[in-house]
Parts: sequence; C-alpha cells; structure tokens
Amino acid sequence: MKGLAKDLKRLVASERVRTDPEDLFAYSADATYYIKRGRPDAVVLPENTKEVSALLKYAFHHAVPVTPRGAGTGLSGGCTPLRGGIVLDMKRMGRILDINRRNMSAGVEAGVVLADFHKAVKKQGLFYPPNPQSMNVCTLGGNVATRACGPHGVKYGATGDYVMGLEVVLPDGSVIAPGGLVSRSSAGYDLTHLFTGSEGTLGVITKANLRLLALPPAHRTAMVTCETIEQAGEAVSEILAGGTLPAMIEFLPRMAIAAMNRYITPPLVTEGKAYLLIDLDGTRDEIQAQADQILGICRRMGVLDIRVIEDEQEAATYWTARSNIGGMLLAMMKKAINEDVAVPRDRIPEFVREIQAMASTLSRVVLGIAGHAGDGNMHPSIFFPEVNSDAENEAEAVIRKVVRLGLSLGGTVSGEHGIGFHKAEFLHWELGEVQIRLLKRIKKAFDPKGIMNPGKLWKEGR
Amino acid sequence: MLDLDAYRDAMAKCSHCGLCQATCPVYREDFLQTHLARARMDLIRAVLVEGELPVTKRFREVLDRCLLCTNCSRTCPAGVPVDEIVAAARNRVYQGKRRDPVRRRLLRRFMGQRGMKGLMGKAGTVAHKMGWTPAELAPPASKPFEKRYKGRISTEGKARARVAYFVGCATNTLYPDTGKAVVDVLVHNNIEVVIPEGQVCCGMPALADGDLALVQEMARKNVPVLAACDVDAIVTDCTSCGLMFKSKVVKALPADDPLRPRAEAVAAKIWEVTDYLDHVGLTADPPPLAESYTYHMPCHRSWTPTLDDAPRSLLGNIPEAELVELEEPDRCCGAGGTFFMDFKELAEGIRSAKLADIRRTGAKTVLTQCPACRSFLRTRLEDRRVTHPIVLLAEAYNL
Repeated sequence: MKGLAKDLKRLVASERVRTDPEDLFAYSADATYYIKRGRPDAVVLPENTKEVSALLKYAFHHAVPVTPRGAGTGLSGGCTPLRGGIVLDMKRMGRILDINRRNMSAGVEAGVVLADFHKAVKKQGLFYPPNPQSMNVCTLGGNVATRACGPHGVKYGATGDYVMGLEVVLPDGSVIAPGGLVSRSSAGYDLTHLFTGSEGTLGVITKANLRLLALPPAHRTAMVTCETIEQAGEAVSEILAGGTLPAMIEFLPRMAIAAMNRYITPPLVTEGKAYLLIDLDGTRDEIQAQADQILGICRRMGVLDIRVIEDEQEAATYWTARSNIGGMLLAMMKKAINEDVAVPRDRIPEFVREIQAMASTLSRVVLGIAGHAGDGNMHPSIFFPEVNSDAENEAEAVIRKVVRLGLSLGGTVSGEHGIGFHKAEFLHWELGEVQIRLLKRIKKAFDPKGIMNPGKLWKEGR
Repeated sequence: MLDLDAYRDAMAKCSHCGLCQATCPVYREDFLQTHLARARMDLIRAVLVEGELPVTKRFREVLDRCLLCTNCSRTCPAGVPVDEIVAAARNRVYQGKRRDPVRRRLLRRFMGQRGMKGLMGKAGTVAHKMGWTPAELAPPASKPFEKRYKGRISTEGKARARVAYFVGCATNTLYPDTGKAVVDVLVHNNIEVVIPEGQVCCGMPALADGDLALVQEMARKNVPVLAACDVDAIVTDCTSCGLMFKSKVVKALPADDPLRPRAEAVAAKIWEVTDYLDHVGLTADPPPLAESYTYHMPCHRSWTPTLDDAPRSLLGNIPEAELVELEEPDRCCGAGGTFFMDFKELAEGIRSAKLADIRRTGAKTVLTQCPACRSFLRTRLEDRRVTHPIVLLAEAYNL
C-alpha cells in the first residue's frame, strides 16, 4: 500500500504510526498466533475519537481494511489482521472519563484496562462484575466487542448486561452514540447491543457507558472436593436450585488442581475427580447463611472434602491460581487451544462425561475441561505434549467433535470468547445459513465497503 | 550457558496470553506491543532462531529497550525467563560488542576494580562537578569502602555465625555508608563478618550488554574467592548482585566448567543482608526510632521467596518506626542499571509514576536495596533521603 504511512502520519502524530517489519510482526495476531497470523500494512495508535474518525474516513475512501485491537488477549483471532491494512491499537485511549455514583454508571474510553476500572470503581464503593481471566490486561473496548464474561457470569451476567450506551465511529468516519446513561430504553432497534459483540466488524467502539453495582461488603471462598464429575454437576444444580447464588462457582478437574497447588498452601488433595471453587458475596450474615446451606447440601451428598477459607489473602491465592491455570498447564505442555463452548446448566455432567470419553481416545493431544459451572460456560482445552502435524490433525478433529457435542446439547459455540476467524465455521453450524445471510446483510448496511475487520465471524465465499 | 539455543523450549512456552502487559514498565510507558515480552520472545525466535526476519536497527532497539527487570517473568504463568533470553539474544547479536571500544574498556576496568576510584574516581568527581556525567549518577565517595573495612571484623563475644560480605561496585565507591551499616549491624548482632580479598564486580552490567565473556571473567575471579571462605552464608546488600550469584553466574558458565560446582556452592549460600538478618533473627533489640519511611521494592528480588517482605519484616523490629506503603511498591523506577542513560526519556517517564507514588506517602525516608534505584530516585527527591534499609536499622542502634 504505497504512501499509506505518509498519509496516516498526516492524520496522527508520526510516532504513533508504525510500519517497521518488527512492529507489523508484533501486531500479526492475538493469543491464537499458532493458528494463523496476518500482516498489517500499518499499526496506528489513536488518542481520541477525532483521530479514529479521521483514520476511518481515510480508510473508507481508499478501501483499506481496519482491524481494531485492545490488549490482544483474544482466543479466537478477533484482532488478527487477515487482509492487511491498518491495525488500530486502542490502548492509548485509556481514560476513565467519569464515575457517577448517583447514577451508578461510568464513562470510559475503549482502551481502559479492566482491572484498573475495577480498582477505580471499588475506591468509590462500587462494583463492575465482568471478570474475564485476562482482566489484569484486557480492555473494556475488547470486552464490549466480544461480550466477554468470566466467573461472575453466574450471578451477575456478562458485559452486555452492563453496557448502557456507546460511542462508535462508523466505517465512513461518522460518529454515533447509541444508548445513553439510562439502564433501559425502548427507543427502536437496540444498536448499543448490536455493537456489543460485533467484534469490530461494524465500526470502532471508542467509548462506553457502563452500569455499576454497589460493592458487596464481604466475600468468602470455599473449595469443594467431589468424588465424581456427576457429583460436582449435581452439587451445582442443588446449590443453585436451593436458592444460593454464589458470585462465582468454578468447575475444575483434577488436572487443574495439580497445577493450582503451586500457589495454594496447604495443597489440595488430588484424589477428587472434580472440584468446585466457590465465591460467596454479600453481607456477613448473608454469606453465613449461604455457606451453611452449601455445607448442608455438600455433606448430604457425601463430597470428599469442603474447605472454607476465612482469610481473604489466603482466598486470593486460590483465585490467582484459578486465573493462571491455562498458563501453568502450558508450562508443562508445548501448546494449548482453549475453547469456550457453553451448554445448558443441567447438561454439564453429560457434556463433561462425553468429553472425558473423547479424551480417553486421544493419543497425541490431551483434552481437559474446566469452566464456569454456574452458567454452563465450559472451557474444553487441548494441550499438546509435542507439536507436529499428527497432533494438529487430532486436535482439529476433536475440537470439531466437542463443538458438535455442545450444539447437540442445546449449547452455543462461544460462551464468552467470541468467534473471530477461529470459530467462523462453527458459527454456520450454530446459526444456519438463513441467519448467516441476515448477519451479512446487517454488516453490509453498516460497512458497505467491507473494510471493518474482514474475514471474521463467518466463512467467506459462502 | 546463556546460549540462545538452550532457550528454544523456554521461548515456545510463551502462549501469547499477553499478561505481561500488566507489569512491563516499558510497555506501560510506550503502549506498543512490540516493546512487550510477548513480542520480544516472538521476534527473537523469528529473527535469531528461525531467521524469518533479518537483524535490523529496529530489532536491536527492541532488544535494547528492555530493562531486564524480570517483572514479566514474575507475571508470566508459564514462568518464561525473559531476562535471560533477552541477554542471550543480545549476546548473539552483539557478540560482546554492544558498546564502542572505549566504553567497553571503561566498563571492564570499572568492573575489575568495583567502581570508580583512583584516577577514574578523581576524573569522575571532576566530570561530575563539570556536569559531564549524567546528573542521575551519584558522585563517587571520597574514600571507597574497601579502604575503610578489610579482612575479618569480629564480634565482642563468641560469634553465633560467620558470613562473607560481597561488596558490590556501588557500595564500594558510591555508597560506602551502606557497607558500614551492613558490617556494623551484623557485628552488633553477634555475627562475624569476613570481607574476602580479590572480589570484583558481580558481572551484571556485562550480562545486560550480552557480554558473556566478561560475565565469565568476573565469575572466574569472584567464585574461587567466595567459595574458599569458611562461612555460614555469603551476604550482599545489593539485590542485583544477589540475583547474579543466585542464578546467573552458574548459568553463564559452560556445563562442564570445573568452576561450576563452586559457583553452585556460592549460589546456595548467597543472601541479601536484610533477608539473612530477618531469617536468623536479631539478638539485639533495636531502640525506638521515630521515623516514617516508605519502601521501594527493587525489581531483582525474586531469587529468594522471602526477599519481598524481608526489609519490612526486619525493620518492623524498630519501635516507633512507621512504614507507609506505596500504592505500587513493586513498580519499577526506570533506572535499570545504566538503562536510564541509554533511554533517557523513557526512564524519566517510568520514574515519574514512582515519584508521584512516593510523594503521596509523605514519608521523608525512602528505602530500597538497589543502588541504581537509590541513585536514580534520589536526584528527583531533593527533600527526601533515599537509602538502604540496613542504614535505618544501623541508625536505630545508633551505630
């Protein structure tokens, strides 16, 4: 793309336009680098909406592809620049614009890091629940663009439930602000939530108004060791049906516990087949009542062990370990692929059992499963002891089987990671061709030239 | 042997999760993915291992623009040893010639005699006064530590332990007050101190330059001297010297090197002094000292699990001394050895967040074990003193 860099440097300060091969390489992928990389023609780091608008106007006029990017932690290739063009790194738009305690809302730029936002609202006694496990680095813009969620989903829902309004730059450079500062609206088509989860294919999200809750006064962590997977599944159902709604309830297999024990003292016994890591929140009395109920249910079911962690610092080590499982297992393996199939809550035991049956037939890769049991969002993961074409083939085949299984149980191909390019084919399976055609027409209405994040969501040429 | 080929598997462990964005001081300033451990690992592999991309000026900049602070490795769920890989990559690219010959000669001499002294020291003082050296660099002390303390410093009664004291370059010529406090506090607590003769620099500056030969040269002088000491422990006041002896010196030697067993013996005995004292406990109760201080954690600290909290715990023994915690005590200050001289603006940016955090505490005394942090922070904290934690303890004892 001749003259691109020169043109872009007229629109934003030259040090924020990068075209060296090393920089283009650094922006070639997200955490799915091993599946596919792209090569952008330029990386641009805008600092405000005006710059984004000018950049899109230029890209629209010259039909240059644009791929927005947050922290690049995605697990489905959403920000991989498949058709070259411009990667828009939004990290420099990282200001928290306001925290409105009386309206329980906050205005943020797209590049704000989730954990920083958590901290900032907490200082005012407020709470923003979505907590994908990359929260220490991932951006709110990326969260909105993928409808990210995390363990809090069971009680508090996903990012989409907190988006009240957005500022979006459309592909032609015009700026719109669907939604606003109210938590409900019946004003026509809900564009706010159409952009939420649009993965950068309709425009660039530059700002968001997010709904906040009051910070729960207290927390307590519990770890339940179950004899079997069925027992763990049944415990989850019983706990929820019994009226206790934990803030988080994570399903962990034995394999994950072995890795987590690096962080936990005293280490957990590893004779259980399944574990439930639970966080209770609320007032101290509420927590005590919830804990009593859970203890009662678990005892009645005859689980192997229940550990209630009173000390908050000690409890934090469990959650740190939980968020680091993927990386820790990777320290033992050569490569990992993380999926996020979600199934109806009552089908979890069946899903897990089938997955384990599949796992036992594998010889070149290891199939493990953990997940946010409370809302059925499971994470089947494929680990490679060695990387070679046999292993790749076996992995690909088993991923397809896992996704088919999830769909057959009434689930979805993606609970929280998004589609990107990695799951494009699976989206066809889930939605069917009529819905896919409808999506394409919606896309065309927003992005007639197809410059926004091309190659994502669905298979091209179909 | 800090050879890049030995790190192929380690590099492959990087899953590109990007969690290093949370703690990389350079990334937090630049906001550019290229300057992040994830991309550094990927580029080093693509350029130096696979040869997919050529070695360019920009690639060298990506290699150089790393503090070797180890924050990314600590954050990394897979524990990728990024600092070693970057050092090995620098070694591969520069072959020990990252600096021009004049500077290399100066550095070698500096390391051989542990700091600026003699002619160099005098010239350094003059240059400092004339404003020819970076203002961030503390001026050399009038009399180096080694001229003040030598040999064996015995306790009054029977000693409960004997330690060898490794005196780093900075303590030797910039901050002999630290060295004095180390000796005084140890002896006051019934621990005999031996200062072995023939020590040279720990080798860290050479490691940062990827000059493996010079790291080995230092090791060949230090290791025999330290290993020959009949002591219970080897202490250092500098967290970076400690890091070198704990894990880097051994790795810098070839696998079959006859010196390696002795380097391992040194590694097993090396302690940072506050960590050591906190471990063995104080025998003398410190009198009260009404002082409010804050603590900046040096980046090079994860070579022992207890080092993070050692100074806090040790100084907690001083009645009336009050620690005011920083909001981010573990955030890098930007010094990075001599990094601040190579990347002035960047280091300045990293430091400004640290300074704001320090000022917020209102504490008049800032403690940190790393002499580079101390010197770099001091120049922008005119109204506060910056010193080593052991100095505060020595003050409490009135030593």
